Amino acid sequence: MGSYHLGRHLKILEFALSSMLRRRTKNLGLVLVFAALVFLLSSIVFLTGALRTEALATLEASPQLLVQRAMAGRHALIPLGYGELIARLPGVGSVTPRYWGYYYDIYTGANYTLLGIGDQGLESPGSTPLRLVEGSFIMPGQRRVCLIGEGVAEVRGTRIGGMVSLRDARGWMQEYEVIGLFASPSRLLTNDLILLPEADLKAHFGMPDDRATDLMVEVYNPHEVDNISRKILERLPDARPISHAEIQRTYETLFNWRGGLLLAMFLGAMAAFMILAWDKATGLSADERREIGILKAIGWETSDILELKLWEGAALALVAFLAGVTAGYAHVQRFGAELLMPVLEGWSTLFPAIDLAPRIDPYALGVLFSLTVVPYIVATVVPSWKAAITDPDRVMRAS
Amino acid sequence: MSRKMISLENVTRVYNQGRPNEVRPVNEVSLDIGHGEILVLKGPSGSGKTSLLALVGCMIRPTSGRILVAERDVAKLPERFLTGVRRDTFGFVFQQLHLIPGISVLENVMLPLYPLEIGFTAAKRRALELTEQLGLTHRKGFKVEALSGGERQRVAIARALINAPQAILADEPTAHLDAGLSGELMQIFETLRGQGKTVVIATHDPLVHDSPLIDRVATMRDGRILDGDG
Ligand SMILES: Nc1ncnc2c1ncn2[C@@H]1O[C@H](COP(=O)(O)OP(=O)(O)OP(=O)(O)O)[C@@H](O)[C@H]1O
Ligand SMILES: [Mg+2]
Repeated sequence: MGSYHLGRHLKILEFALSSMLRRRTKNLGLVLVFAALVFLLSSIVFLTGALRTEALATLEASPQLLVQRAMAGRHALIPLGYGELIARLPGVGSVTPRYWGYYYDIYTGANYTLLGIGDQGLESPGSTPLRLVEGSFIMPGQRRVCLIGEGVAEVRGTRIGGMVSLRDARGWMQEYEVIGLFASPSRLLTNDLILLPEADLKAHFGMPDDRATDLMVEVYNPHEVDNISRKILERLPDARPISHAEIQRTYETLFNWRGGLLLAMFLGAMAAFMILAWDKATGLSADERREIGILKAIGWETSDILELKLWEGAALALVAFLAGVTAGYAHVQRFGAELLMPVLEGWSTLFPAIDLAPRIDPYALGVLFSLTVVPYIVATVVPSWKAAITDPDRVMRAS
Repeated sequence: MSRKMISLENVTRVYNQGRPNEVRPVNEVSLDIGHGEILVLKGPSGSGKTSLLALVGCMIRPTSGRILVAERDVAKLPERFLTGVRRDTFGFVFQQLHLIPGISVLENVMLPLYPLEIGFTAAKRRALELTEQLGLTHRKGFKVEALSGGERQRVAIARALINAPQAILADEPTAHLDAGLSGELMQIFETLRGQGKTVVIATHDPLVHDSPLIDRVATMRDGRILDGDG
């Protein structure tokens, strides 16, 4: 009995597939349009996921409290004396100066972040969670060497033993030997980062000895951060304390995709999708209508015809969905969402030419699935159902 | 006439009832059809032959009157059961054949079995038997649009027979056939009668209603049967 039931469904499935092959041109067109829309939608979903992952990883690496100095609203180097003052505030642990700056390479047109590594190396509190994958770290006292991220190595085609040339503050080219490659949880960090000995970095940017780029402040009790920020501002009006929470908020506004352009695009693509579905729903061809009539007349029940159309719709939608999602994944991962990047202009400075790691978010995929495959199937089945409930004798008159 | 297979009692079918364009293609028709006979419904165009055939074959329901198939009144059966009766009892050969283009002869013949609980292999075996019986074996893999008129007609008959129905209902089956092919077709109907099947043919083709092979003729005019129902 059970196998008989199965046989019934298999035969209808078989006929559904052969019907689709029969109308291959039309179905191919539908698959292509459907897949293209899913591609766009899934690219957006994957990209959003990837950017969020990047943001989270970056956030993880950021210190409890960061103190910069603003002069006339512009970021300026901060005197080390500020650090000593801050360190004396109750509740504050260590204060670690950071030496870093952006570097624009006119030859490649790329932006890099140069970060100085002091004698305490990377073990200092709150520093970036970098992981050495090859070579060695900078030894105390070592000069004219550098470590680069895997991303930079790839872009520049440099390996260990190679040279990185940087034009310094006086306009001279300086060469640094690559002694190590590193990775980090966020590609964002490794992609444009070059580590130099602290002394080399200061020389590169021409920083005075008593200045740093900013200060990382360790706060014992996370609830005290706001309080300590206020005290810092009271004593040092030109300081600009930035708390972990503030960074988090900044990222949240940036990545709040509900407010973003991506959502606009998402809605646009959805609208296109609905038009496709609507067109399908209203545009049952005379041919298809006639075929439904014939099946009805030769003894198919309305439910059999619904099953047939369900198989057809599901097969087409699944093939197109999988193709679209796969292409979307490849687009985001292998091509850095190239097609979407122009839309994200404001963000692209934050994410310079990165290799994004798309996150497969089952929830987002589920939403995407139910917003595309499900309405498409409904849109295929409903008009067929309408055609199938008419009297079978129509066929006796239609020519 | 032998045992009754189908009985129509005062059957009327009305379209657009109460409106100016009201029509009664079948009006107060009573008719008995026996097992194993060839009955011809003849009459001018518009006299209601196709409509009567559709009523007999449970394609449509009567507006009033009773239709008994194997002693059971089918007029008020719900749609699902009506479909069941239709496909277990009748095989249709439509005037326009209504084969599905793009698929093979064999698939066309098998199509009525797809929604039934019969395995694919068994279904195929049955279709092969029928194509052989109707002399279509050498055409079984052809798409129907590649066939001649007579061959298509036989595919339609094979499809009508695949459910092993007790009755074949054929609407103008000779409309597209020449005299030779029409004669062959009548032979096929006679063979079916020989197998105990009932054949009802709606036609205005003299080659059919004057054929010596048929048992009975019922003449229709304006939705009524004039004579022959004896
Ligand atoms: N669904 C319908 N709605 C309205 N009128 C209908 C319908 N079906 C049949 N009729 C009308 O009923 C009448 C009889 O039609 P029917 O097709 O049964 O005649 P017929 O004898 O088969 O004619 P022909 O020889 O031309 O095939 C015609 O006037 C037709 O227009
Ligand atoms: Mg007719």
